[in-house]
Amino acid sequence: MSSSAKASDGSGTAIAAESLYLVNLLLAPGLGFLILLAVWWRQHRRAPPLAAAHLAQTLSGSVWAGVLLVVVNAFIVLLGGYHGAHVWVIVILYFTFCHSMLVLFGAYGLSKAMAGQCWRYPLIGRPLPAGCPK
Amino acid sequence: MQYKSQAVAKPYFIAAIGLFVGQILFGLIIGMQYVVGDFLFPEIPFNVARMVHTNLLIVWLLFGFMGAAYYLVPEESERELVSPGLAILMFWVFLIAGALTVLGYLLVPYSGLAEMTGNSVLPTMGREFLEQPTITKAGIVVVALAFLYNVGLTILKGRKTVVSLVLLIGLAGLAVLFLFSFYNPDNLAKDKFYWWWVVHLWVEGVWELILGSILAFVLIKTTGVDREVIEKWLYVIIAMTLITGIIGTGHHYYWIGTPDYWQWWGSIFSALEPIPFFMMTVFAFNMVNRRRRNHPNKAAVLWALGTAVMAFLGAGVWGFLHTLAPVNYYTHGSQITAAHGHMAFYGAYVMIVLTMISYAMPMLRGRSAANSEASQVLEMWSFWLMTVSMVFITLFLTGAGILQTYLQRYSSDPLPFMVVQEKISLFYWMREVAGLMFLIGLVVYVASFFVGSRQPEATAVVEGSAA
Repeated sequence: MSSSAKASDGSGTAIAAESLYLVNLLLAPGLGFLILLAVWWRQHRRAPPLAAAHLAQTLSGSVWAGVLLVVVNAFIVLLGGYHGAHVWVIVILYFTFCHSMLVLFGAYGLSKAMAGQCWRYPLIGRPLPAGCPK
Repeated sequence: MQYKSQAVAKPYFIAAIGLFVGQILFGLIIGMQYVVGDFLFPEIPFNVARMVHTNLLIVWLLFGFMGAAYYLVPEESERELVSPGLAILMFWVFLIAGALTVLGYLLVPYSGLAEMTGNSVLPTMGREFLEQPTITKAGIVVVALAFLYNVGLTILKGRKTVVSLVLLIGLAGLAVLFLFSFYNPDNLAKDKFYWWWVVHLWVEGVWELILGSILAFVLIKTTGVDREVIEKWLYVIIAMTLITGIIGTGHHYYWIGTPDYWQWWGSIFSALEPIPFFMMTVFAFNMVNRRRRNHPNKAAVLWALGTAVMAFLGAGVWGFLHTLAPVNYYTHGSQITAAHGHMAFYGAYVMIVLTMISYAMPMLRGRSAANSEASQVLEMWSFWLMTVSMVFITLFLTGAGILQTYLQRYSSDPLPFMVVQEKISLFYWMREVAGLMFLIGLVVYVASFFVGSRQPEATAVVEGSAA
């Protein structure tokens, strides 16, 4: 696919959105989210359905990731105490499982974006816009 | 089946499944011995059952890889195998040698087995996963050489594809690296150093090449995506595998008497090891999303996608969990390692062999592309039963490992090993229950070969059609 075709159908933006979601989870937490937020801010009003869908999914997914991974874990540690052995069992198991699932959502979302298709993240995703290729 | 000689894969696959059943039965025995220490003692001591469990795993995966190669290579090379007769002969040699070795483990004390088999002439026994008598190891080398001759010559005489060449490099690496099992220096640090050249460079090196090539082959066949696209992915995946995996061996060198720099090299490169597995996940889903046809063998596609996901989780995520030196300082050799080992072997290697069996077996049994609907439904049930059970086995072992690490190594008042084992026994019980579920899944898998075999073959559903 040529670069102009990618720009018109929005698959370039869709791939970038999914990549930034994964960067936020895997490489640069916070920084990836800020760049994703900037891309969403600039493009979400005029983006084609494919790009709009992936931007909405990844932004929503990133916010949920923050809640699930940071806020919930902080609560568990605050409630259970820093020195409780069982607290660490729950924190590490919960974090690893939850983080892996979020990464898998991103991997699948990325593969969908690369194929020029929309996909709604299970449980944490936004409804897909009309005219979105599935 | 396009080539008659592909039929030699069938006995290899049957033997692989049979040995897989044996491996799981022994896994359940040792799982029970974790919580009921004298279960089946003295008939089957823990160390013997564990040895049989791990050795059967290796042997059945090798049978699976060989069967996969014998099926894949003629089709990729567009010619018959150079010597189907040699393949069948080596099958029997390998099976009989493997069976005798397991019987030796079970019936003769290990030291007696070493004496009986002349281990003193060239001592190689007594090391984890490489417990086989020296004579068995020599037999494995003979089988591997004959296998490489057969497969290699077929590839060299026929069409050369990226898939078949990557497979050949992986198989040749597997054979060459096994030779380090014959090197058994007195110096324990050196012994461990080279022992990992077999163990690590197999599973986090050349076996990944075999995995990648088989996955690529099945995806080419089931999705109809251009070979060129799949081959480009394969190039990048194997490059990343080798770049990260070879120096990533260093994560085994932290505490065995090697220089300190291995803590840096090992940490950095093994932290990158999830990358090829992550790429494999994106690759598999991307190919299925871009498919040009719906293959009637839905079970094979499910296994292929499952391989990519579970390999990423087991080898990638659970490997990363304890791979950095400062973390590994506390977690080394705990149940976290066992959790990683279980899910990584299942995700990366068990599932890829089952993917290939699922794809090839219908053709080997006379179907044109796929089993009947009934058979596939049962097979997909077995997929979910085994995979979900393995997820739980991994989670329970991880829980046990975290608690073990904390109580035994991290807390200000560390507890002795056996006291901690008692405290984490609930996790071991839950693991055993999940193991039983896994066995049920395996029984369903075996049953899927017998159910619906007289019913008509499943046909591909055209997307958008009513039924």
